[in-house]
Amino acid sequence: MPPLYELENIRQVYARRVVLEIDQMVVYPGEIIGLSGPNGSGKSTLLRILAMLESPVRGRIFFSGRPANPNDLQSRRQITLLSQSPYLLKRSVLGNVSYGLKLRGITGKKEKARAALSMVGLDPQEFAGRMWYELSGGEAQRVALAARLAIRPGALLLDEPTAYLDEYSAERIRSAALYAVEKWNTALVLVSHDHAWLGSVCQRILQMHRGRLQAS
Amino acid sequence: MDYIAEGLVQALNLLLQGDPETFSAIWVTLRVSTASILASLILGIPPGFLLGHYSFAGKRAVRVIVDTLLSLPTVVIGLLVYTLVSRQGPLGEFGLLFTLPAICIGQTILGLPIVIALTASAVETLDQRLPALLSTLGADRKQMLLTTVWESRFSLLAAAVTAYGRIVSEVGISMMVGGNIKWYTRTITTAIALETNKGRFAFGIALGLVLLLIAFLINLVLNVLKKRTQV
Repeated sequence: MPPLYELENIRQVYARRVVLEIDQMVVYPGEIIGLSGPNGSGKSTLLRILAMLESPVRGRIFFSGRPANPNDLQSRRQITLLSQSPYLLKRSVLGNVSYGLKLRGITGKKEKARAALSMVGLDPQEFAGRMWYELSGGEAQRVALAARLAIRPGALLLDEPTAYLDEYSAERIRSAALYAVEKWNTALVLVSHDHAWLGSVCQRILQMHRGRLQAS
Repeated sequence: MDYIAEGLVQALNLLLQGDPETFSAIWVTLRVSTASILASLILGIPPGFLLGHYSFAGKRAVRVIVDTLLSLPTVVIGLLVYTLVSRQGPLGEFGLLFTLPAICIGQTILGLPIVIALTASAVETLDQRLPALLSTLGADRKQMLLTTVWESRFSLLAAAVTAYGRIVSEVGISMMVGGNIKWYTRTITTAIALETNKGRFAFGIALGLVLLLIAFLINLVLNVLKKRTQV
């Protein structure tokens, strides 16, 4: 199976300080990879680079065999990132979840958005019409994940998505992410301090320290 | 004190009975101020958005100029427009002096810096996570731009309401380039100034009440919008 991501000699620098230095990394479709390490070890930077939200100062990245380029909309639309405190658009829950579908001109937005809401354990009947300011932290996080699942991503990058959530919401996030892997062969890259979660679902856990991958 | 109370009663009578002179001033005010705010928004939102969204050399200097223009006195704008539209001025051939379009030009100049400055601030203070969200959900450049404008809609509306409040209550521009011509260019504020001088308190109070009502409605809308932008 050809790799989804291939990274070679990646270096990222912030304010003249090297924050990420990766010689090689490969991610396959349907693979679940955990990133673990202390704060400031470069995990979030790596996810942002994988999400094409920033470009490294050096190195090459290939996505589905093509050189990664933030201007390559076709590739970028297969990747999505969820952070620990995501932003919701100032519109209804349905508007938020169907936003990515609308950008892609996909038909049947409402039905697909409702299905995505169900995947994260939110009753579409109850939540679809709610506004962004009518949600608790856990509900907002699940709406944000539903918005990403609705677009059926090839790569789902989760940056400590359960950090501030109660156990119920955290479990819904975990199970929805795994559902994407099983259903659409989505590659899942997880950053989390929840070692039990990483240990139970990941095929590989990459330890990071001072911007470098320590071990597989 | 009696004459104030009497004036108030007469004012209510003028309003309730639909006094044509009173309603002429109200109608002129609403027409010209609505045209002015629309022109201010059309001309002001794009540069305000650019000013808030992009970084460029001299941006700070532009912000200082725009902020300075926020406190431009209406009589100075009146003087400027007067020199432009008077017979000897560059726009003299159009015969705009003492017409509603002349007032509209002046009021647009008054509202423009407010719209530009508040639009720039609205865009600058948008949540820093928004660009990442739009990118990660697959927006192209045009979609990012349109969604960013839509996300700042409450702040943009608040900018429009603030500018409208300043426009509808100005007197200097309307007096200088409108000429305060009865039935034609007489606005609420110029009518109050003139009629009070003539001792027609009831007429002035009636128009003052309408202006207060407009101000109240504007503040009510602003209040709702502020709450909405803070959540």
